[in-house]
Amino acid sequence: MSSGVAIETHDLTKLFKSRDGNSEGRSFLFNRKEPRMVKAVDHLNLEIREGELFGLLGPNGAGKTTLVKVLCTLLPPDGGNAFVNGFDVAREQMDVKRSIGALFSVGERGAFWRLNGYSNLEFFSAIYNVPKSKRHERIMEVLDFVGLKEKAFERYQRYSGGMKRKLALARVLLPDTPILLLDEPTVGLDVISSRTLRDFIKNDLSRKAGKTVLYTTHYIEEASQICDRIGILNRGKLIACDTPDALRRVIKKGEVVEIRLKSITDAQIEATKTMDGVVDVVSQVEDSVLGQRLLRFHLESIGSLPLILDFFFKERIQLIDLKREEPTLEDAFIELTGTGLEK
Amino acid sequence: MKWQEIEKIFYFIKRDMTSFSTYKTNMILMVLSALFGALSYAYLGSNATMQSVLEMYHISFKDYLVIGISFSTYISQALTLVQATATPWQLEEVLVSPTGLGTFIIGSSAWGFIWSTIVVAIYLAVGSLAFGVVLSVNLIGTVLVLGLGISTLVGFSMIGAGILIVVKQGDPVTWLMGILTSVFGNVLFPPQVMPYQLRVISYFVPQYYFFTCIRLMMIGWSIQAILPDLLTLALMCAIILPSGYFIYRWCLKTARKNGTLSWF
Repeated sequence: MSSGVAIETHDLTKLFKSRDGNSEGRSFLFNRKEPRMVKAVDHLNLEIREGELFGLLGPNGAGKTTLVKVLCTLLPPDGGNAFVNGFDVAREQMDVKRSIGALFSVGERGAFWRLNGYSNLEFFSAIYNVPKSKRHERIMEVLDFVGLKEKAFERYQRYSGGMKRKLALARVLLPDTPILLLDEPTVGLDVISSRTLRDFIKNDLSRKAGKTVLYTTHYIEEASQICDRIGILNRGKLIACDTPDALRRVIKKGEVVEIRLKSITDAQIEATKTMDGVVDVVSQVEDSVLGQRLLRFHLESIGSLPLILDFFFKERIQLIDLKREEPTLEDAFIELTGTGLEK
Repeated sequence: MKWQEIEKIFYFIKRDMTSFSTYKTNMILMVLSALFGALSYAYLGSNATMQSVLEMYHISFKDYLVIGISFSTYISQALTLVQATATPWQLEEVLVSPTGLGTFIIGSSAWGFIWSTIVVAIYLAVGSLAFGVVLSVNLIGTVLVLGLGISTLVGFSMIGAGILIVVKQGDPVTWLMGILTSVFGNVLFPPQVMPYQLRVISYFVPQYYFFTCIRLMMIGWSIQAILPDLLTLALMCAIILPSGYFIYRWCLKTARKNGTLSWF
């Protein structure tokens, strides 16, 4: 394994039995559907660099959680290899466990409701091998880090959703491991808590503490806001992996320009459609009294724009505004997978 | 009450009955439990039982009962404690930490046994002080029998927990052990009062040896005097405890391989 790489997978495959499917697979004897093998992770090749905040984006069932569970040794791989901090997840499980902190989307239930925040962390610091002499200091440090120091001795059951998530994160931070695997950490949080947690992960964990973070989400905006690179996972396959900007550029086929106009006729709109370099024109009436319309031009290149503007000038059509549209990460996702995501 | 409200109550009952009837295994187990319960209480109140206790242990039936019921707390704890650790979120949180499976099982069960010890002490103290139960404890023997008995039952509990992790439904092992304890375990009456065909079952049940030995240790018998029963219990423990551990580990491995650890 090359240095500077925190997580590496080679043809990693994880299979699950599924009884869904067609009746062709029914057993002859019992008329019961024969299980078929589903590739939850399909020959995945991935490399996450040390100190990187890597987003794994994909719809539900894409294989994100399965991948995280394989990386943290909860699930054994069925094919290929995976290395975490240089350790093989199949053969060096204890070394892998000492290198990671893992937060699952059900993290709230992993804590003990009748204990206070401090006592919860005290228990987990013991099972994460935090030395007894440093335990109190470390607990207070992580509580301060996540902003829960003031609430340390309040019962966990009285914590808000955001506080519970923060305590789960504090638990993950206790052993001070170099790699964090965060599986949908903002699930179930309100907008403010979700944003606070994202900022914390980006600014404090990634930038200041220099942790390597694998962050899974099915929220496009989340991934594009905080991640250095994003891998798009679909049906267990990594179909794209790059920076958010680069992913947007991947699908940038041609240009989209929106022009708001006054006093343009249908005939004039039809005329623009036949111009060189114009792929398509979508017209929308914005104000029928004022005769205002919004035209969305799909152009082969931006070089076609002067020709269109020249046409409007000659026809004495009043131009109100013009906007060049940038493709979004969601456009990239739809382009790559042929399906959308929840926002 | 208006007819409309009565109709609502009917739909509550229908909802719960339909839901309950889908748990067929549970239904069958409950019916069988009631039958076995009736059997044990029938023997509990018979004169033959009291006579038999006097002949075998030379103690009153009250003393026999108090000691049996006190230590049955340990047995029920031992049978259910490993299961309690099988909650998927707890399992996952601990399994991703650098903590061994043995530490996890012992650590998760330890408090239950400490609490059971306190409960047993209360039972025996109340029995002794308020009801005049005569105790003459062989401490070393008691600790030895307790260790063997609990370890054997933890073995069964691990088998039950393992099954629960894989099949995600009712655990018949724990249920069966509970029934065997109440009818054949020498808790409420000596199995010797039952017909031979039933009595013979108790010789294959570790609880029988546990309760026989612990009772005799509590009334001051020597270890030598209970050696045959103690050795039988030790042999059962030597087979069941490691078997339970390996079955639990295998079930855990299977659930991890199938990705069903967090399904419940």
